[in-house]
Amino acid sequence: MNVTCKDRERIFEDGTAAEWAALAAHAAACATCTEEIRTWQSLSVAAKELRDYSPIPGLWSRIERALIEQDGRKARRPEGKWWFSFLPNVSLGWQTAVAGAFALILTASVTWIISRPVRDPGKQDPLLKNAALKEVESAESAYKKAIDKLAAEAKPQLDTPATPLLASYHEKLLVLDSAIADLRAQGGLNPSNAQLRYQLLAMYQEKQRTLEEVLGAGK
Amino acid sequence: MGTMGLALPWKTRITSALHEPAAIGRWETRVGPSEHLTGGPAQAGAKPANEDAALAAACRAGDLRAYERLYVLHGARMKNLARNVLGSAADAEDAVQETFLKVQRSIASFRGQSSFVTWTYRILINTCYDARRSRLRKKEVTTDDDSEETPRREPRAPGAHPSLRIALVRALEKLTRHQRDVFLLYEVEGFRHAEIAGMLEISEAASKNTLFQAKKNLREMLEPPRSSAG
Ligand SMILES: [Zn+2]
Repeated sequence: MNVTCKDRERIFEDGTAAEWAALAAHAAACATCTEEIRTWQSLSVAAKELRDYSPIPGLWSRIERALIEQDGRKARRPEGKWWFSFLPNVSLGWQTAVAGAFALILTASVTWIISRPVRDPGKQDPLLKNAALKEVESAESAYKKAIDKLAAEAKPQLDTPATPLLASYHEKLLVLDSAIADLRAQGGLNPSNAQLRYQLLAMYQEKQRTLEEVLGAGK
Repeated sequence: MGTMGLALPWKTRITSALHEPAAIGRWETRVGPSEHLTGGPAQAGAKPANEDAALAAACRAGDLRAYERLYVLHGARMKNLARNVLGSAADAEDAVQETFLKVQRSIASFRGQSSFVTWTYRILINTCYDARRSRLRKKEVTTDDDSEETPRREPRAPGAHPSLRIALVRALEKLTRHQRDVFLLYEVEGFRHAEIAGMLEISEAASKNTLFQAKKNLREMLEPPRSSAG
């Protein structure tokens, strides 16, 4: 193989072993290439100055404790998923079918909750008294906080669902989010409407349980 | 490009090494960098694929010993990479810990499209840049380098050449994030382009080209000013 000075940069970028050998042979009679090769190679030598693999006292014990703690937190979560625990042992086709049916039932139940007749809110629905309204609001805010935290933890699994089951949970959460948005919009018009507020609380509760199941399913 | 070396104090060392034909043989055939890791941490690709898969399966099953094995094989290198990205040993240790926790949390979603170790390093790199960004937000400092913070640098292991390291560290901070990542992964940590491609989710050709651009930029930054007499 015959290489010249013009081939040097290309070989630096993506040269084969044979091309490097040919460049080295050429450099034996070319001062410019000898120097360029040396400069190029000196960067690799310099890089080794950034390498320090000395032992790190205590780091593994710290990581181990954190892993055990995280695992413990996961185990302490309410187990709402026992009836799905057989899924990892069945075929992907069955998982898809079961998850599909599951999603359908969930969507139907969410639709049922939000479509129950809401009678004239001003007349027939009991209005929340100030104290009760505060209680409901504080419960809502507690749910929202818990949900935000769970949603952040479950995000990686929901963004790229690894199983059909997780994908169906994702769909269920989308349905719940849209129901929550509807109820909040209605509640905003009449904050003391008890039926709306309790429906909203039920939705938050359902979303929290679903997120916990997502985290459980990812285990 | 002139016929001059880098303006660095270690030039004489390199010069003498390259007079030996054997030294030329070392770099010209460098397909994989494992030779410079002898005695150091394991290569991501040096272990058979089935060992990688077994490690992933054991981690998925929640076996703590598997995580310990991952740490024994890669902990030191993970911390070294994190320290070079973050510029602080304490932040690097936090990033390694956070990476292990993320692996534990999301191992169920690992589908084996890349090797388990490659996937772990991908999480580490993302964790490091998340940490850089959050540090930046906290300090509310703006820089013109990819909107990222210039890491703090700490004194390191005895035996290192301080002026060489400082010069290189400064130059690395002026590279783009991708160039810095590829340079650190290939030249410092000794990963192969195929492995880097998996970690950074780029093609192998892009990894090679990025390394080339990184080294070209570093060469320019570290070269002594040219004399006008040429
Ligand atoms: Zn030449």
